[in-house]
Amino acid sequence: MSQHDRTHHATIATGKGDPQCFKGTAGPAKFKVGDRVRIKNLPDIFYTRCQVYTRGAVGVVAVVTHESPAPEDEAWGHVDQSEWFYIVRFKQKDLWPEYPTNFPNDTLQTEFSERWLESV
Amino acid sequence: MSNDHDHDHDHGHGHKPPAPMVEEISDFEALEIAVRELAIEKGLFSAEDHRRFTEFAEHIGPTPAARMVAKAWLDPEYKKQCLTDAIKASFAVGVDWLNPTGFGTPSDYTDLRVLEDTPTMHHVVVCTLCSCYPRPILGFQPEWYRTPNYRRRLVRWPRQVLAEFGLTLPAEVEVRVEDSNQKCRFIVMPMRPAGTEGWTEDQLTEIVTRDCLIGVALPKPGMTTNIPLPVHKPAKPAHH
Repeated sequence: MSQHDRTHHATIATGKGDPQCFKGTAGPAKFKVGDRVRIKNLPDIFYTRCQVYTRGAVGVVAVVTHESPAPEDEAWGHVDQSEWFYIVRFKQKDLWPEYPTNFPNDTLQTEFSERWLESV
Repeated sequence: MSNDHDHDHDHGHGHKPPAPMVEEISDFEALEIAVRELAIEKGLFSAEDHRRFTEFAEHIGPTPAARMVAKAWLDPEYKKQCLTDAIKASFAVGVDWLNPTGFGTPSDYTDLRVLEDTPTMHHVVVCTLCSCYPRPILGFQPEWYRTPNYRRRLVRWPRQVLAEFGLTLPAEVEVRVEDSNQKCRFIVMPMRPAGTEGWTEDQLTEIVTRDCLIGVALPKPGMTTNIPLPVHKPAKPAHH
C-alpha cells in the first residue's frame, strides 16, 4: 500500500457530505448577511478559486454558506484549518466599467472563503 | 512528389490515408487516463469500480432536477424545502447526494442551492473556473457549459450570451449571474409558465429542460427539448 493517505478526504466525507463534514470547525463567522465587503487582492501562487475579476470590488454578503478548508489549502491536502464561506453579491457595473448602463439592476454572485474578504 | 497535383493525388495510390482511430484528444483527457491508470495500479480503486462509476455517472440526466421544480410548482411546502434545504428535498426526487453511487462516498460537493426566479429576477449559472455543476441531480454538463467562451463571456456579457440562446429579457428584469466556483452547486427554479394550468407533475416535468435549469432558457408549453444550437461549418476546416 501507498504511504500516502489518499482516501482521507473521501473517508471523512462519507455519510456526511462535503462541506458538511467540516461543520463546526471554523469558529464564529466574521461577516453576516448584508455586510459590505471588499475582495482582497492576495497573492495566489499555484492555486486559488478567487477570480481576478472580483479583486478589489465591493459587494454585499448574500448568504453565509458553510465551513470548509479554503481551496488554496485543500488543494495541497491541508484540511486542518477551516474558514467560513460567503456568497457575495456585486452590481455588475461595479465589476465591469463597460457594463451597459441601461441594465443598472443586473448583479453577479460568487463565493469566497473568509480570508478574501475585508469590511468596508 | 510534385506540388502541381491536387491533394487527393498526393499520396500516390489514388486514395486518402485511413482516418486515425482517435482524431483528437485533449490534454485533460490524456491526464485523466494517466491518473486513472496510476490509481488502478496503486489499488485506490479497481478497473471494475471505475467502469461501474462511469456507467452510473453517464446514466444520470436532468430529470430529477426537472421533477423537483415541477413538484415545487405544485406544492408550496415542498418549494420552501427546496429553497432552504435542497439536499433534503432531493430525496423526494430519488437523489441521495451523500450516497448517490451506492459506493459509500459522495460523488461531488454536497451543498445544493436552488435559485428562485421571480417576475423581476432571472438567474443563470456558470462556473468560470472550469465546469462546477450539480451532477448528482442534473447529470453531466453540456459541452458548451465547459467552454471558455461561455464561461468568460457569461459573467461579463450575460444578456448578450442569453440572447444567443434565444432568451431576451426586458431591462426591468434583473439578470443575476451565479458564478459557481466553490463547494455550492446551483439549479435555477424558473417561474411556472402560463398555459400550464391544471397540468400534472409529469406534464410539468417535461417542460423543465436542462437549459431551463441552468438558466439559459425559460420553460414554455410544448418545449420539451433543449435549444438546438446553431452549428456553423468552419470556413477553413482543418485537414488530416
